[in-house]
Amino acid sequence: MHALIQGIILGVLTAGVYALMASGQTLIFGIMKVVNLAQGAMVILGAYLSYQLFTSFGIDPLLAIPITTVAMFILGVAVQLLFLRPLKAEDRSELSLLVTFAVALLLEGIMSVTWKTSVRSINTGYANSSWTVFGYQITLVRLWAFLLSIAALLVLYLLLNRTRFGRAIRATVQNPESARLLGVESSRVSALGFGLGAATAAAAGSVYGLLYPFNSGSHYDLISRLLSIVLLGGLGSIGGAVVGALIVSTSSAVVASAISPSWSEMTFFVILLLVLLIRPQGLFGTTARGAI
Amino acid sequence: MDFLLSLQGVIAGYGAGDILKGVDLDVSPGTVTCLIGPNGAGKSTVLKTISGLLRPRTGDVRFKGEEINRLAPRARLLRGIVHVPQDRSLFPAMTVWDNLLMGGYVVKDQKAVRRRIDEAAAVFPICTRRAHDQAGSLSGGEQKQVELARTLVLDPGLILLDEPSIGLDPKSRHQVFASIRRLAESGRTVLLVEQNARSGLAASDFGAVLESGVVRLVATGASLLEDPEVARLYLGAGRATALTMGGITPDTGRSPSTITSEGAR
Ligand SMILES: Nc1ncnc2c1ncn2[C@@H]1O[C@H](COP(=O)(O)OP(=O)(O)OP(=O)(O)O)[C@@H](O)[C@H]1O
Ligand SMILES: [Mg+2]
Repeated sequence: MHALIQGIILGVLTAGVYALMASGQTLIFGIMKVVNLAQGAMVILGAYLSYQLFTSFGIDPLLAIPITTVAMFILGVAVQLLFLRPLKAEDRSELSLLVTFAVALLLEGIMSVTWKTSVRSINTGYANSSWTVFGYQITLVRLWAFLLSIAALLVLYLLLNRTRFGRAIRATVQNPESARLLGVESSRVSALGFGLGAATAAAAGSVYGLLYPFNSGSHYDLISRLLSIVLLGGLGSIGGAVVGALIVSTSSAVVASAISPSWSEMTFFVILLLVLLIRPQGLFGTTARGAI
Repeated sequence: MDFLLSLQGVIAGYGAGDILKGVDLDVSPGTVTCLIGPNGAGKSTVLKTISGLLRPRTGDVRFKGEEINRLAPRARLLRGIVHVPQDRSLFPAMTVWDNLLMGGYVVKDQKAVRRRIDEAAAVFPICTRRAHDQAGSLSGGEQKQVELARTLVLDPGLILLDEPSIGLDPKSRHQVFASIRRLAESGRTVLLVEQNARSGLAASDFGAVLESGVVRLVATGASLLEDPEVARLYLGAGRATALTMGGITPDTGRSPSTITSEGAR
C-alpha cells in the first residue's frame, strides 16, 4: 500500500512535465495534421539551453523558461517556414514524418557538437532536498517541476482560450474551412502554431532538465513516450494529452515502486495497446481532428 | 439601377474542365436572391467565386462597382462579403460566444465587434440564451441561427448562404427562412442557394435558375414559383415526383427528395 501511494505521488508529480511536452505535440498535430517527430529533440534542446543559462549565469530554470520559450518559438516558426510549408498539402502528413525526423537528427547533431555527448544535469541548490509527509517522500525538485509545468500549461490554456490568436488556432483545429472563410490565414496560424508547440517543448525542456540527466540522444526515448501519451489521449486534444500523461506516468511510477523498475518502461506501452484496441481514436479523440 | 453584386461571363472550375460556363448574375441591394438548380449545376461554385475561395478563369465579379476578381477571401470579407458554406460551419468545441467573436476575426475595431455581437444577439436570442454552451451541443436549427447571427458581426454588405435549410426539421427550416426575410427587411442583401426550391423562392425577391454552369432564367421569386417549367423541374411536380419514388440519383448519391421534398410530399 505504501509503495502504491508513493508511486502515485511520484507519478502525478512527474506527469506535469509530460503533459506539457505532449500538449505541444498535440497542438501541432491539431493545427497541421503533422506528427512532429522533432518534439523530443526540441525538448532536449530546451533542456540544454536551460542548462547553459544555469551553468553560465546561474539562472534558475524558472527564470530560464521565458528566455528558452521565446528562442524556441522563433526556431519553431523557422522550421515550419523552411521545411514544412514547402510541402504540398496532399502529401504533407506523410512527408512531414520524414521531414520532422530529419529535423530531429539535425538538432541532435547540433547538440552533440555543441555540448558533446556526455550526460548533463541541472543541479540546483534544492536538487536534493526533500520532505517527508505522513511517511511519504516528496522531493522539492519534483514538486517545483510539477508547479512549473502546471503554470506553463495554464499560460498555454489562457493563450488558446482568451486571446484572438488562440481562438484562431482553435477554430483552425475544429473547422479549417470555416476558419478560412472567416479570414483566418491558415499559413500564418500554422507557422505561429508550430512556434507555439516548440515554445511549449522549450518550457518542458527546462523542467525536464531539472528532473533528469540527459544527453543529445535522450530524444529517442522521449519521442516514443510522447507519441504514446498523445495517442492515448487522442491526437489533437490537449485535455487528452494531460490525462494521457497522468495515466502513463502514474502507472509506470506505480509499477516501478510496487513491482520493479524494470517493468515500468513496459507498462505504458501495454496500456497504450489495450486502449488503442478498445478505442482506436484514443481516449479523447472523439473526432478525427480532435478539439483544442 | 446600380447592382450591389454583378457577375459577368464568369467561367470557373477546379481541375481540367469548366464548371461555370459563363455565369451572368446581378443582385440588387436590400434584396434576397435565390439560386436554384440541379445537383452539380455549380451553385456552390458560384458562391465560391464571389467569396474568393475560387478564382474565375475569365469573367468579371463586381461588388459595389469594384472589380474583385483578384482579391483574396480575406480582402473580400473586409469589404463585407460573408459566405456561410453548405456544411455546418460553427466551431463545435468553442462556445457560442467565441463563435460570434470569430465572426469578427478580420475586424480590427474590437469595440465594434462587441457592439455588433450584442445587436446580433438581440435578433437571434439563442446567442444569449446559450452563449456559454459549446456550439456543438446545439441542435441543427439552433446552429443555423448562430451561423446567421455570426454573419452580422461583420456588418456584411452581402450574405452568401449555401443551402441554409439542408438537414433541418420543418420547424427549423421555417425559422431559417423567416430569419432570412428579417435580414432583408433590416436592409441586408442575401444571395442563397437552396434545394428546397419552393421555400427558398417564397422567401426571396428574385430567383435564378442555374443549369449546367449557366444561368438559364432570372425572374421574381413569385413568378418562378408559378412558372410551369420551373415547377416541373424544381418544385416537385411531374417528373421529379416520379423520381422521388425511385430513390437515389446516380450522379450525386443524394436522394432527390432533398431537392423537392416539400413539393413532392
Ligand atoms: N473542390 C472541388 N474539386 C473538384 N471538383 C469539384 C469541387 N467542388 C465541386 N466540384 C465539382 O463541381 C461541380 C459543381 O459543384 P457544386 O458544388 O458547385 O454544385 P452544386 O450545384 O452546389 O451541387 P449540390 O446541389 O450538390 O450542392 C460538381 O460536378 C462537383 O463534383
Ligand atoms: Mg452545393
